[in-house]
Amino acid sequence: MGASALMSLGMRAMTANYAALQATGHNIANVNTAGYSRQSVELETNGGQFTGAGFFGKGVNVASVKREHSEFLTREASTSRAIAAADETRSLQLQQLEKAFPLGEQGIGYAAGQLFNAFVDVANKPADASSRQVVLARTGEFAQRLRTAGEQIDNIQQGVTEELRASITQVNMLAGRVAELNQKIAAAQGSGQTPNDLLDQRDQAISDISQYLQVNTIAAGDGSMSVFIGGGQKLVLGTQTTKLVAVTDAFDPSRLQLGVNDSGSLRQMPDELVTGGAIAGLLRFQNSDLIDARNQLGQIAAAVAGSVNRQQALGLDGSQPAVAGSPLLSVGGPRVLPSSSNASVAGVPVASYVNGSGDRVPSVSLSVVEPTELQASDYELFADPSLAAGSYTLTRRSDGTSQTVTNGSVVDGFRIDIVAPAPAANDRFLLQPVAAAASRATLALDNPRGIAAASPVMATFDVDNTGTATLAALSATGVTPAAAELTATLTFTNDTGAYSWELRDAANALVRSGTGTWTAGQSIRSDAWTPATPAQRYDWELSLSGVPRSGDVLTVGKTSFPAADNGNARAMMGLRDAGLVGQVTQASGTVVPGVSVTDAYANVLANVGVRVQSARYSAQQSASIADDAKAALTDKTGVNLDEEAARLIQFQQSYQAAAKMLQVAQSLFDTLLQTAG
Amino acid sequence: MSSRISTTRVHEAGIETLQKRQTELADAQERLTSGKRVAKASDDPAAAARAERALAGEMRAQTSERAVEASRTAMSLSETAMGDVVELLQQAREAMVAAGNASYTDNERKGLAEKLTSIRQQLLSVANRTDGAGSFLFGGQGAGAAPFVDAAGGVQYRGIAGERRTEPATDLPLTINGDGVFMTSLTGNGVFQTSAAAGVTQAWIDNGQVSDPSALTGSTYTLQFSVAAGATTYAVLENGLPTAVTAAPYVSGRDITVDGQTFRISGAPASGDQFTVQPSTATLSVFDTLDRAIGQLGTPSRTAAQIAQGNTDALRDIDQSVSQLQGARAAAGEMLVRIDSETGRLADQKLANQSERSRAEDLDMTDAISKFQSLQTGYDAALKSYSMVQRLSLFQYLNT
Repeated sequence: MGASALMSLGMRAMTANYAALQATGHNIANVNTAGYSRQSVELETNGGQFTGAGFFGKGVNVASVKREHSEFLTREASTSRAIAAADETRSLQLQQLEKAFPLGEQGIGYAAGQLFNAFVDVANKPADASSRQVVLARTGEFAQRLRTAGEQIDNIQQGVTEELRASITQVNMLAGRVAELNQKIAAAQGSGQTPNDLLDQRDQAISDISQYLQVNTIAAGDGSMSVFIGGGQKLVLGTQTTKLVAVTDAFDPSRLQLGVNDSGSLRQMPDELVTGGAIAGLLRFQNSDLIDARNQLGQIAAAVAGSVNRQQALGLDGSQPAVAGSPLLSVGGPRVLPSSSNASVAGVPVASYVNGSGDRVPSVSLSVVEPTELQASDYELFADPSLAAGSYTLTRRSDGTSQTVTNGSVVDGFRIDIVAPAPAANDRFLLQPVAAAASRATLALDNPRGIAAASPVMATFDVDNTGTATLAALSATGVTPAAAELTATLTFTNDTGAYSWELRDAANALVRSGTGTWTAGQSIRSDAWTPATPAQRYDWELSLSGVPRSGDVLTVGKTSFPAADNGNARAMMGLRDAGLVGQVTQASGTVVPGVSVTDAYANVLANVGVRVQSARYSAQQSASIADDAKAALTDKTGVNLDEEAARLIQFQQSYQAAAKMLQVAQSLFDTLLQTAG
Repeated sequence: MSSRISTTRVHEAGIETLQKRQTELADAQERLTSGKRVAKASDDPAAAARAERALAGEMRAQTSERAVEASRTAMSLSETAMGDVVELLQQAREAMVAAGNASYTDNERKGLAEKLTSIRQQLLSVANRTDGAGSFLFGGQGAGAAPFVDAAGGVQYRGIAGERRTEPATDLPLTINGDGVFMTSLTGNGVFQTSAAAGVTQAWIDNGQVSDPSALTGSTYTLQFSVAAGATTYAVLENGLPTAVTAAPYVSGRDITVDGQTFRISGAPASGDQFTVQPSTATLSVFDTLDRAIGQLGTPSRTAAQIAQGNTDALRDIDQSVSQLQGARAAAGEMLVRIDSETGRLADQKLANQSERSRAEDLDMTDAISKFQSLQTGYDAALKSYSMVQRLSLFQYLNT
């Protein structure tokens, strides 16, 4: 006991304080290191030595270096980060998508309205080629805008695909890193001390995974951390990792879904299990927002094109001799996408055949029969084995409603044709009546003369009529060339609207005759008058203003001068405000009218706008939650330079004091030597 | 709250706030420069949809204006053309009045016939007048070429009766029914038509008038004259069947009334002379009227009675045509008034839609400028506070 004890105390104190300084230095050095948790040296007394006079302390010991850490806050920060990343990603993607739907004069609704408005000049001057040219230009502009929007959506889909791939690669890389760190940590754990920096690195890697995919973690006894994604699917188990893969959608090869490579077999993760992280945001955007936008756009494109072309076909064009108008606008047709898991023999799907042009096509096909009734949705056709042969379950994806259909069923404006070879049990098909419509929209007519401005029928009133009835409107609803030469004469037989009618052919021979009654506000229709052969359809609808009197004669005949007639151009103008989009015929037969093209586009705009807005709000909200969680974590574990500065001084002074101790010990020793000497 | 804060977070929070403020300021600046509150749908989805509908409404009104203008052009051109026709018919009327001059010789009447021929030519060219862009003013529902064709047997209307109209929202006429204006005036005095049968040379019948509308039957009456022993009598046949009047005494120039129709026969009818009184039909053509007058004026050696009958008929028919044209002209004038009010209505509609759109998507400048200024102040404060906070560090005070 003596100077050596003091020397030893001083030595220990110096070492301890040096260690503390070292830790402080490490903290200062890592002030900006992401995921770094502040470390501190834990000191303990080195026990006491018993003497008769009691215990004498033996100085200080460095017990361990500990990191400031909170399991709870770390987990909280990484979960909230995952949710924030999902919301942020979806919000950013939606903001991109919103750009495909411009407002005002740049919008698709405006272009559609202007397409119809262009017919006003044709109606004013049917013979004027320049006003017909304007119609073509406006139609071209409308098609162009549809195409641009469609292409933008396609590009966004491509971007999503690329981002998904990149994200999945990142997750795999980070999972590998976690596995590697697990191994190192388990090895280091054996020493009895915690490898603080490795733990920090692993926490950081897991937090980085959260950015892409929400994960759960479970710590194992050996210090390793297992990582699971939704539904208990393991991602990292000890030092083993499961590879995530981007699998193509079962129906649509342009879409990717998240899958896992479970020892060689690829399995798609159900959407609902992928809850947080950028990948979840991307998938939700891709599988709901993008599909909806594409279908809503396609619905407008298909409804407008279908209605305009049908009206074209009802009219007569400006060629010599005038013929029924050919289509003005063409859009992408309906598509059928068979599931990749459908029954197949030697790689060839059972439910498919080789068509006339040598292409293998699915046995299921679609055709649009009533463009105004098309809905903005995809459909899934399922060969349910519990149903009778030839019956299938059709599910509308937008609202999940199902119904049973057979070959030839007409649903929401399209007909489903199922030919041999019939789909095998459990086969699935994705039906897309409108999804491809917009991106392939083109102007189908290049000759201004081809615009059908004239109506095939016209009405004349006898000059001797005594009633006040004049023509309010006459619209051809289908007059086939075989019936074009017919002339209908209506003679009113009393003052309350009773009339007799006669149909005569070009040679003035009586074809048919009958009677009917006109009531104010109701139109006179000819569809029941003609022989029911499709070749001789002679359907028109006539409405009167004023009141006819007995003996009044009204003649509906072939338009003699189609070049000067504007009946069909007027009908085209009428389409502008007609409910072209999204008409619904209910099972009871009640027809819920559609909306005009302007309203349809305004609705799409509002729909996308609301999605962007709410996605942005939730992104802001979850970002602020994530920020708070991160702040709570870093406030607890992060480095504060002022604190470190104070500690620096504190440990420096302690170190200096310890050094003084040595000096004192030294001088004690010297004194002893001198005294002895 | 925790009592410590990590240094990184001080900086991160500072940077984040600055960025947020800067973004807000840039957004506000963008809105101020563009003047739009709604630049994309998500800025205010409901307002964006409203603006979209208002824009469509504005375009609809603009489109209707084009239709209204087309109708205005057509109507005012037609109105002028019909004015010209009335003018020409007045000249024709003057010629016919002149032709009634008893001192005129056949040659002078022939001269008048030539004048009428030239009027007829002018009339035909007015009737076939176009709007300058290939559309015939009187083309009705449509005509392949000029609607009035000088064919054998007189001028024919080759268009389709009726009128072409603008788009359904305005539904205004773009053409005049040429058939109705020129070809289908009512014959006679508008209710019945008197005429002398061929071979009547010494008597003539005037146009007559309705003396008792309730007595009208719509039948065709024939007056058959017979002269026996210096006494002239007549019988009235209704639709070819004898009536109660079988031998009424005839006095030249005295009113004869048959079933509410009163007319006068003058001169000395010969035995066997016939006059017909039949209901008017809508078949009177302006051109046929002139053609008949020209034919008659060009015929030499007619008796005074024949000349009187011819002039009376021609004047009556010209007057009928003029009244028909004036009716149509007034209707066109009336249509122009309606077009004016329609123009006003469309202008209002356009303005209403423009202001609706502006309300929906335009920026309230006062509000925006004051908001911008408060954002500016906020950004300034954020910059200042950050620059002060980041200077505070214990290390600054530990310089030994």
